[in-house]
Amino acid sequence: MSKKRTVAFGLVAALFVSLMSVMVPAQARDLKGSQCGREGQIRTIRGVTYTCERVGGKLQYAEGRRLSGTLNVVCGATELWCAAMARKFKELTGVETKFVRLSAGLVPARLEAFKNNPEFDVWHGGPADGYVVGRNMGLTEAYLSPTRKMIPSKYLDANGFWSGVYLGALGFCSNTNVLAKLGVKQPKSWADLLNPKLKGQVLTAHPATSGTAFTTFWTQVTRLGSEDKAMDYMKEMHKNVLYYSRSGVAPVGAAGSGEVAVGLVFAHDCIAGLQNGLPIKNSFPSEGTGYEIGAVALVKGAKNPLAAKTFIDFALSADAQNLGVGVQAYQALTNPQAKYNRLIIPLSKVNLVDYDFEKAGNRKPELTKRFDDEIINRAQARG
Amino acid sequence: MAIRRQSAKLDLFTKLAIFVIVLILSVLILIPIGNVLYKSFQPGGIDVLRAVIENDYTRQIIMNTVWLGTSVGAIGTLVGFLLAYVQVRVNFKGKKLLHVLSLLPLVSPPFAFATAVIVLFGRSGIISNGIFDKQPMIYGYKGLVLVLATSYFPVAYMNLLGMLRSLDPAVDEAARSLGASKFKIFRTVTLPLLIPGIGASFLLLFVEAIADLANPLVIGGDYTVLASRAYIAISGEYNIPGGAAYSTILLIPALLVFIIQRYWSQKADVVTVTGKPSGQVDMIKTPHAKYSLLFLAWTIAAFVVLVYSMVIMGSFFKVLKVDYSLTLDNYRYIFSGVGNDAVFTTTMLALIATPIAGFFGMMLAWVIVRKIKRGGQALDFFGMLGLALPGTVLGIGYAFTFNSPIQILGITILPQLAGGGAILGGAVAIVMVYVIRSSPAGQRSGIANLQQIDPAIDEASASLGASGGRTFRKISLPLIRGAFLTGLMFAFARSMTTLSPIIFITTPDTPILTSLILAEADTVRYGYAFAFCTLLIAIVLVVMGLINLIVRKTQGTGYRPITVSAG
Repeated sequence: MSKKRTVAFGLVAALFVSLMSVMVPAQARDLKGSQCGREGQIRTIRGVTYTCERVGGKLQYAEGRRLSGTLNVVCGATELWCAAMARKFKELTGVETKFVRLSAGLVPARLEAFKNNPEFDVWHGGPADGYVVGRNMGLTEAYLSPTRKMIPSKYLDANGFWSGVYLGALGFCSNTNVLAKLGVKQPKSWADLLNPKLKGQVLTAHPATSGTAFTTFWTQVTRLGSEDKAMDYMKEMHKNVLYYSRSGVAPVGAAGSGEVAVGLVFAHDCIAGLQNGLPIKNSFPSEGTGYEIGAVALVKGAKNPLAAKTFIDFALSADAQNLGVGVQAYQALTNPQAKYNRLIIPLSKVNLVDYDFEKAGNRKPELTKRFDDEIINRAQARG
Repeated sequence: MAIRRQSAKLDLFTKLAIFVIVLILSVLILIPIGNVLYKSFQPGGIDVLRAVIENDYTRQIIMNTVWLGTSVGAIGTLVGFLLAYVQVRVNFKGKKLLHVLSLLPLVSPPFAFATAVIVLFGRSGIISNGIFDKQPMIYGYKGLVLVLATSYFPVAYMNLLGMLRSLDPAVDEAARSLGASKFKIFRTVTLPLLIPGIGASFLLLFVEAIADLANPLVIGGDYTVLASRAYIAISGEYNIPGGAAYSTILLIPALLVFIIQRYWSQKADVVTVTGKPSGQVDMIKTPHAKYSLLFLAWTIAAFVVLVYSMVIMGSFFKVLKVDYSLTLDNYRYIFSGVGNDAVFTTTMLALIATPIAGFFGMMLAWVIVRKIKRGGQALDFFGMLGLALPGTVLGIGYAFTFNSPIQILGITILPQLAGGGAILGGAVAIVMVYVIRSSPAGQRSGIANLQQIDPAIDEASASLGASGGRTFRKISLPLIRGAFLTGLMFAFARSMTTLSPIIFITTPDTPILTSLILAEADTVRYGYAFAFCTLLIAIVLVVMGLINLIVRKTQGTGYRPITVSAG
């Protein structure tokens, strides 16, 4: 054996050993606790996914997760938004992400029906009142995501059963042409809605089927101080209501096509309608208005809990919340670092009532029953 | 000649058929709905049941439901009868066209029909307000009846068309030779002979109307019916037992109408297809009668054309009622990838379900009318249940039942069929829902047709040594070809347009066209919704045409029954 060959062999061996020594520990090396760039950022490094969190004053990676399999999302937001979230999450983590879009109100029933063999891992989108019910029905599990630290606590369930990802303020969505024909100015207050010239020109959803409409109802309770007074206002407004639609967004279409002058909807739905070319304009009541929190939650018994948790980390981050504007979702955002553009109205610019979500949720069954008995039933007897 | 004779002994084929039918009914409907309806008696459901007695609002909802079902059943059957009568008994140009237009509403995608009616006849409707300067209040009972009767009359039409064609003209002739006037013949001969068909149509329309959900959501206004109340309970109050309880209540009017219809049909002596040759059909020739009939028929057809043109035109406008410039953007969007999977999956699943539903409906009809003495009523009613329940509740029943493998004594007899994680991505459960929801049309018209046919024909076949299976295939099936065709067309159209029952069992792997339409309607993008609907209508029309061709072709080569077609 020549000297040369021995040296060459030795060199190769040394290279191999040093390479191994670099690679093997690197693969096993946990990046947890090491410094990261942006709070809420999701990064997948060598097959391990990390969430960047703030601990003390320092930004560092939270515990890494080796993600695999498929993530199944039950999505109460719009089809486009659900798809955008799924696409981005797959891009960030490599996890195949599938979703089924459902009307938000149907999600608890569907989860309930599959309770003994859950088909979904995470529930994304739809108003918090459904999530409160879901928690009470034992459909969700608590998860304290590291990104929750970025979100103001009033938008979070204290125990982590759900976390707020977007916000919508209730507004008046008016068809400017119809208003002009009626000779009525754009309504700017709850009192304006009672204008006799608007008889049959207001469309709102039924408070039992629509979170939007229940927000309207509870806003009156908060604003006027009692359920009886709220009922009185609803009875007054009833004189102007054409009928109570089942879907909360339907009034946008009705106002847009000129069937009514004003629809009571969340401002972001009105703005989306405007973006789709409808002749409508949003305004807020000066006396104060209510709002909704759209949430995300971990499904109890999720088959892929690790990916589900990372999805929740992601949904709360500014990166995820910035996706909405590109897919006609103009909700305000719960993460203060999320970007705003001219189409998104920050809640800070709206006069809000002090909305108690827990209390509203608990009073809902009784109040909607009262609404049915005292308003709808009479309307039927009359009609 | 009307005494029903029964084969004393059931042969192997018949026994097997009964076994299969009972099995299918159990798995497809009895177990799933049992699984949800028993929840009526849980807290939440009990309250609803109690409210029937205590709360006048609940009673009002029940009255609304019955009134709506009766109106739609009566008006839809009348319209179907008128169109069928004109088709068979009047000679005029454009007969084929009128036939196609009479069938068209069989394809009514959710939302499209009601939305188009609102665009045309709403308060700011293109016609109501644009031409007549009126602001009609169509949200509620009136709008609902208009939309439901129009979308459901084709079933009555097909049903009665088949029966009118197979009426034996000899009976008319006999009446005429005895000196009866045309009107008298119509009233005392034709009409009574059609009683099973009229009863069947009324029943079918009644149950469809009371179980319908999408239309009350769009055009129902504050006119609350049990189906929409069940939906409110589930989606707004998160109260599944409550939804189940409203559905249980819904079954009572359905059952009552079923019993009345059955009693009425069986009392009538209607056997007209006897296997003996018969004469020529006497056509309506009096100008007065002829032209008034034609006027009515074409008015109805014009309404259908108007509404469908609205749907199709709506898919080419930039923004309906705002910007009428023409555009292909809506189609560009739906073909950009969002809808491709859904179009393919939905069509495939509907194509699989169609023949199953068609044959199942016929088998059921044949066994009920010809083969079994007792228990027929129960089978008949169970067969209708898939249609008589609000879709949402049926869907929940499927979710509860098939969300995990079904085991008996530790042995898996059925794998998980519904939801994510199920075999074939949950497609099996969707096909099952399509089958059970769309077989009742074939079943009803099959029963009505068979009651017209003299059992002696079956018996002749049997006495010549044919087995039960051979008799079914060679004698009964060809004789009720019309009903079979009705069953197949209805099955495909309904499967393609079914929405509410599949909401609970769609999975990411089975994107369904109707839920995409719902998603677009939900976000008020009517252009996209109408484009999807137009595509759906096109698919259904093409497939219906093909079904028609295939059924006729196989018919041509085989045995020809003696039913004299007057068309």
